[in-house]
Amino acid sequence: MAKHDEGVVTVGRSRIGTFFANTTGIVFGLVMIFPVYWVLNTAFKPDSEVRSFTPTFFPNEFTLDNFKSALGEELFIPSMINGLIITAMAVACALVVGFLAALAIARFSFYGRKAIILVILAVQLVPFLALLIPLFLMLQGANLTNSLVGVALVYLVLLLPYTVWTLRGFISGIPRELDEAAMIDGCTRPQVFWRIILPLTGPGLVATSVYGFIQAWNEFIIINTLNNPQKQNLMAWLLYNQTERGTAWGPLMAGAIITSIPVVVFFLIIQRNIATGLTAGAVKG
Amino acid sequence: MRHGKYPFIIGFLAVPVALYAIFVVGAYLQMFRLSLTDWSGYGAFKDVGFDNFVKLWNDEVVWTALRHNGYLLLLLPIVTIAIALLFAFLLNVGGGSKGGMTRGVWGSKVYRVVFFFPQLLALALVAVIFQRVYGPDKSGMINGLLPDSWEPWLFLADENWALTCILIVLIWQAVGFYVVLFSAGMGSIGQEIYEAAALDGATRITLFFKITLPLLWGNVQVAWIYLGIAAFDAFALVNIMTVNQGGPNNSTQVLSMQIYLNAFKYSQAGYASAIGVVLFFLALSFAWLTLRVTRRDNATA
Repeated sequence: MAKHDEGVVTVGRSRIGTFFANTTGIVFGLVMIFPVYWVLNTAFKPDSEVRSFTPTFFPNEFTLDNFKSALGEELFIPSMINGLIITAMAVACALVVGFLAALAIARFSFYGRKAIILVILAVQLVPFLALLIPLFLMLQGANLTNSLVGVALVYLVLLLPYTVWTLRGFISGIPRELDEAAMIDGCTRPQVFWRIILPLTGPGLVATSVYGFIQAWNEFIIINTLNNPQKQNLMAWLLYNQTERGTAWGPLMAGAIITSIPVVVFFLIIQRNIATGLTAGAVKG
Repeated sequence: MRHGKYPFIIGFLAVPVALYAIFVVGAYLQMFRLSLTDWSGYGAFKDVGFDNFVKLWNDEVVWTALRHNGYLLLLLPIVTIAIALLFAFLLNVGGGSKGGMTRGVWGSKVYRVVFFFPQLLALALVAVIFQRVYGPDKSGMINGLLPDSWEPWLFLADENWALTCILIVLIWQAVGFYVVLFSAGMGSIGQEIYEAAALDGATRITLFFKITLPLLWGNVQVAWIYLGIAAFDAFALVNIMTVNQGGPNNSTQVLSMQIYLNAFKYSQAGYASAIGVVLFFLALSFAWLTLRVTRRDNATA
């Protein structure tokens, strides 16, 4: 079916095919976006309109009351601060620990290297919920339940496999000749790591920190199990709040939007590089 | 170069290895240990041998949960990967080609962002949103869109459909990530291969099955394992969305929910650990089997 019109090669260029492809794209795109749109739609409606049995596709009466009432909730701001502290601790530690571990795995060959790689991968394969009971016990024993540090520690462990694996991919992509050249010029090994490998791993560090941020910020099962209501993050607060007060959909959706803002902002900043970051670990052997 | 590398290796790996030894390996060992006790979650406990596993074998709810996990395990990877492949293909090659360059369908840049959006929302929020979508009266999103004369659909309150409702949300949430993953894979397939195929008169469908899919096999394999693990888990959605955490009448019960309920609601932490042990081995054997089976396929292809 290849045609040559004016020297342009076209692949399977049937009008019907193109029409079909575009239609599928639009329909599916709508299905993907509609629930998100519905959240926005609900958040800006007054309560009476939310509960109405005739759905409106745009708020008849535009209101910010839902946001006010969500922000005014007793534990909203504290939960947000808790979440930020936990996330910052977990992501920062994951970057430092993960970078060093990735360096060791990517740049040195040593006994047990394969075993470490295998364990890193295997851990990701088992649903984490199975570990909730023993983790709770351990942290209780160490007096770290109901504390931000305890949760951050668990998140750190959760983030490490992906962080190590992705950074390993990035570091492997840096030619060893660069290290050697620098060492001939008189760099010590720590200097090579610090002044050559670290800057070149920059995009990998951005990608893993974004991933880590999203994971830690959005987690709610572990924190909900380990901590009492005063020490929740925003996500757990949102759910807790929902079950406590029945379903006040407007404020709930407003809360959901506020909770998502940091992640969406992060995503928009690095949107272009997201595919590279996500797949770096997988593509580079 | 060689001498003096061990201080670095030890220094760099000490912290992560210690963390793993304590929080992962240690935790699993403790789970195995607890699965052999009658621990309630508080206070003292005694060893009961394999009693928990015998009880588990005879527990109808656990079997129901296992069947539901199996249902998700079968459908979640297949449907998600099929949709993701289709869309990655549409976004990259679907628009036909011009000037020797294949291109995506109209608006593919927008779709890339749109598809990734669910990935950004926490599962908790996704669950809350879909409770709204699935609202069982006219104020629910889907029911609101249906003609007025129709009886409202019950969705999550309907025993026969509740689990499928959960499956749809899992797919909705996962698809975007795999579209991006497969897109990246397709991007790395050389243009000249498509060009050559186009000159030979390949249609879109031929391109997809003869070029794209075989070259993406590695990515598909990874996707299959990750989605399988998600099907073994499914805790977040079941916990938040379903009636009575796994209901109605256990129609959405899954193993992870059983662990949670037994450990934190029914004060049977020992029994919950036993279910955890089963889940552990099921998930690992699934991953191992997938790798084995797909590798053999690869060799014959």
